[in-house]
Amino acid sequence: MDIRDRFERALERVQKAPRYTGGEMNTAIKKWEEAPLHFGFCFPDTYEVGMSHLGMKILYGLINQESWSLCERFFMPWTDMIALMKEDDIPLLSMESRRPLNEFDVIGFTLQYEMSYSNILAMMDMGGVPLEGSERGEKDPMVVAGGPCAFNPEPLAPFIDAFMIGDGEDVMTELNRVILQRKQQGWGREKCLLELAKLEGVYVPSLYQVSYDDEGRVTRVTPKGEDIPERVRKRVVTNLNDTYYPEEIPVPYTEVVFDRIMLEIMRGCTRGCRFCQAGMLYRPVRERSMDTLIHLAEKLQESTGYEEISLSSLSSGDYSCLPELIRELMKRMKDKRVSISLPSLRIDSVLKESLEETQQVKKTSLTFAPEAGTQRMRDVINKGVTEEDLLEKVRDAFHGGWNSVKLYFMDGLPTETTDDLDGIADLARKVVSEYFAVPKDQRARGLRVTVSVSIFVPKPFTPFQWAGQDTLETIQKKTEYLKKVLDIKGVTFNWHEPYVSFLEACFARGDRRLGKVLRKAYEKGCILDGWNETFRYDLWMESFRECGLDPAFYANREREREETLPWDHIDSGISKDFLWRENEKARKGETTKDCRKGCNGCGLQKWRGVCGYANAGCV
Amino acid sequence: MRMLAVFEKNERIRHIGHLDIQRSVQRGLRRSGLPVAYSQGFNPHILITFASALSTGACGKREIMDVTMAGEVSEDEFLTRMNRAMPPEMQLKEAKKIDDRHPSLMGSLRAAVYDLKIRDRSQAEILIRAIPSMMAKDRIVTMRKTKTKLAECDIKPLIYALRGEGCDIFATLALTERESCKPQMLTEALKAEAGMTDEVRMLVIREGLLGENESGELIPLERL
Repeated sequence: MDIRDRFERALERVQKAPRYTGGEMNTAIKKWEEAPLHFGFCFPDTYEVGMSHLGMKILYGLINQESWSLCERFFMPWTDMIALMKEDDIPLLSMESRRPLNEFDVIGFTLQYEMSYSNILAMMDMGGVPLEGSERGEKDPMVVAGGPCAFNPEPLAPFIDAFMIGDGEDVMTELNRVILQRKQQGWGREKCLLELAKLEGVYVPSLYQVSYDDEGRVTRVTPKGEDIPERVRKRVVTNLNDTYYPEEIPVPYTEVVFDRIMLEIMRGCTRGCRFCQAGMLYRPVRERSMDTLIHLAEKLQESTGYEEISLSSLSSGDYSCLPELIRELMKRMKDKRVSISLPSLRIDSVLKESLEETQQVKKTSLTFAPEAGTQRMRDVINKGVTEEDLLEKVRDAFHGGWNSVKLYFMDGLPTETTDDLDGIADLARKVVSEYFAVPKDQRARGLRVTVSVSIFVPKPFTPFQWAGQDTLETIQKKTEYLKKVLDIKGVTFNWHEPYVSFLEACFARGDRRLGKVLRKAYEKGCILDGWNETFRYDLWMESFRECGLDPAFYANREREREETLPWDHIDSGISKDFLWRENEKARKGETTKDCRKGCNGCGLQKWRGVCGYANAGCV
Repeated sequence: MRMLAVFEKNERIRHIGHLDIQRSVQRGLRRSGLPVAYSQGFNPHILITFASALSTGACGKREIMDVTMAGEVSEDEFLTRMNRAMPPEMQLKEAKKIDDRHPSLMGSLRAAVYDLKIRDRSQAEILIRAIPSMMAKDRIVTMRKTKTKLAECDIKPLIYALRGEGCDIFATLALTERESCKPQMLTEALKAEAGMTDEVRMLVIREGLLGENESGELIPLERL
């Protein structure tokens, strides 16, 4: 029986076979022989998660659009499938032509969150690709990665040949061209790596030497050759209207997490929330024009048949002509029975008018992210939102017929006290009162207020990159406290287990030595760490111990201003001085204004013409 | 106006369940831009019915749907536009205009024709050899799985035709809203007759759906 027959047999025995079958609308793009370069796009999590991801759809379309390259998808199988694949000696196969991973010229992982790292190893292993760059030979694929976590690439350095830093649209094609030359001109891996390192925004970790001091802190990261840049500058797409965006995207048969059209209306955010890594990494803010968006929306609706379009960005409420855009989309989509939804609503920017328009088609639950319970704490994190803003929006929503509100908070933020935790409960209670203040015959029945509290994880390239995370004990105490104060009628409290956040904190700010821990943990059986049922905290701690590394050193340690951070050689455009200034202001509870109100000198102003709000003359 | 369409659910997507197939067809209709009718009410959906839900794991050569249209469209146009809008795994074979008073597909359905491809040749031989003796019996008792329990059931009157050839068992089995014989019930009965206890791997292909004409003959449902 050949591989594909064995795979078919496994499908008969596995749960949720549809996540492995492929054959979705808009995926039959080209035949293997049609293009010389074969790119295996790997999403290191399950199909349902991966198929909800916008970045993958963009790059999938982009690579397939080039006549000379072809892209097929790979996802992380669930444990039952992994067992069947092992039992029957089935390698990881692509969704499209069901070819093993190691038959591709280049395989690319998207790094969305740290807890998917073990899946990267698992996928390579199942796909017959040697795990570490140093173990791979001339016949093996080049392994590349990109996405937000690529900004601290160090923990993955042993496994990934080249990282793409920043916006992927332009660099993707340049990188593929180099790898095509490797294939066609028979370049050795070394030559290929050197060529890749010449591309702007590409970091080849094997070409850098890392030194540490006695305490284990990084002291220096030095390039191993003269042509190798000391710092790798992130790629920035300056005009989104000229940038590739797919007009056809795969439409899964089964329901996935986000089963709808995602229309990226802008990239970047000017708010400057101090905990938010995306808000720093995706700077500067860039908008797509209304014309482009309406064109894309219509094309995507025609090619997918989706019933819903969500406007996607870090802060959609800030889009400069949001009401006009929504009105125009509604007008064009109404007869097609397509609803428009606005995720990641910022409570200070939603217009009452657009609230009323949204419900014209469908009433969904409203989501607000005050992030912290007191004004003091919101000032610390620079979340420029007041309680009155929130309550006003909630009031409008309840009057408008909504009955379901989700509130997102974090605990463990720097300087947090019990007052701040009480503040979360107070806010929830006030939201409940707003609902009951609406006369009974004018409000929708069945109030549902969901309060979700996640655990703060300090991230690189944020003003809190020096901060220590709360210890597990502290977090557990805080959660118990929150359970008590959030025992309010009409309120559901969702909390997170602290262990995953602790490990996330280690890898988010980890150095190159963590590669060993990752490999060891994978070998011990750690996979699918983002899922409660498969997460093995004990095995992770065992791996740290056996590697002689202390997780608290990474997660809980407060760093000094002078310390060389493991990601200092990656240039995100945001200066370390700016981040430190923001950190100091945070400790004093001082806020920083929105960039739209004037340049704050984050560092991007040094790249002339990149940020529309930059003041070249400022600090 | 209603459009009756014959479509395929091919082998690759045989594990996709009926609800997902329904949604995929609806999205296909939306992609096609054809003038389909929507239900009234708060959550409008396309007015479409399927003659029979095809079980997860089975593929279908000639599955049938019935779409209510909001405007005139020719059969050819329906077919062309839908086939552009559907993935290769779910292409339409035929489209036929029917009158608004045409009886419901589900109510007219009588039987289905199956090709059961037994993966293992020797198993197939044993099962096929058991056909004559099984069919010679007055009653063929097998177990029917309901939502809550297993019940005994005589499938003899539900088997309209049965023969075997090579690795294939061809069967015409009753399929109505009231009673039906699933392919697995048939193979279980054949296994019992042959005294076989091993698991039988097979690919279930539903070749077509049958209705009954005025003279009491079973003919393809789409020809009624």
